[in-house]
Amino acid sequence: MTARRRRVRSGLLLCLLLPGLGLSGAVLAAPEFHLVIRDHLFEPDEVVVPANTRVKLVVTNEDPTPEEFESYELNREKVILGGRKAVIFIGPLAPGVYPFFGEFNPQTAQGRVIAE
Amino acid sequence: MRIVTSRGLGAALMLLNLPVMADGLAIDKVYHPYVDPLVWELEYRAIAADDNPATGQGRSQVHRLSIGRAVAPNLALEAYLVGEDNRDGGFSVSDYEVEALWQLTEQGEYALDYGLLFELEKSRKDDAWESAVSLLLERELGRYSVTANLELGYEWGDDIRDEWETGLALQSRYRYRQELEPALELYMGEDTVGIGPAGLGTFRLGPGRSLHWEAAVILGVDNTTPDYTLRALLEYEF
Repeated sequence: MTARRRRVRSGLLLCLLLPGLGLSGAVLAAPEFHLVIRDHLFEPDEVVVPANTRVKLVVTNEDPTPEEFESYELNREKVILGGRKAVIFIGPLAPGVYPFFGEFNPQTAQGRVIAE
Repeated sequence: MRIVTSRGLGAALMLLNLPVMADGLAIDKVYHPYVDPLVWELEYRAIAADDNPATGQGRSQVHRLSIGRAVAPNLALEAYLVGEDNRDGGFSVSDYEVEALWQLTEQGEYALDYGLLFELEKSRKDDAWESAVSLLLERELGRYSVTANLELGYEWGDDIRDEWETGLALQSRYRYRQELEPALELYMGEDTVGIGPAGLGTFRLGPGRSLHWEAAVILGVDNTTPDYTLRALLEYEF
């Protein structure tokens, strides 16, 4: 085995251990906020969340068609099938305004998360 | 699959009546541990590498064309045609490949996001197979995202030496704007250690349609990696 192979394999071993460290950071009790998609609109269209805290958005799509919650500012894309519910974890966010929209109905399905 | 078969090396070793090896560049792309349901993906990838000191192969190109789709909210399948274009000869389809990406955790649910990538590749003409499984990890740090791919692969067949291979790919990107994200990439594998700047981004083309691009210049940092490797990717989602 070459020195490089040993280095790579040692690195792999180290990195394989990382998942355990990552899992220890699970969001067990993140504050929960709810959004509803109805008639291609987000209700409410403004969600105020605590800054610097990871939060859990529960999005319920009451429309029969799928919608995608999308926000580049929040670094999230999540498809919610018609009549289904999805969980989106966001943050921790610096204080500010973070717009989001519905990928399939961007003209109407718009909203924003305010971290304060 | 990041283990690029080296036909030039294969031909040289066959002349020497030695077992054929398939070692080559470990530079391809960095996978993210997320599945985007409901969309089809058409992807084109190109890799152009300078002379490869480890294999003796001259400048080479590898092209990949694929189509993919999620078959479940957390599972996507993709099928590839792989072509090689060397200076010495023409261009031809050299390999077939299928891959499955399994998103294991919800984005942001844990300190790291997890996914698994399974790949299976078959040489079109030779009895040479390659399979690999990669652990995909991603961590969001404010406007930065750091992604790691840890690959364990196995090659087998009458025209290839049976062996295990490992690979590591890292990408750190700054989410400057959706259309342009500067990044730094590092690749390590057997006979490959390379690092270099990259850029990526996505253009929205309408509801449910987008064009994603990536480009990178990876510089070899040891004496077995090509001095430079250029990679480019275009992906159309619809």
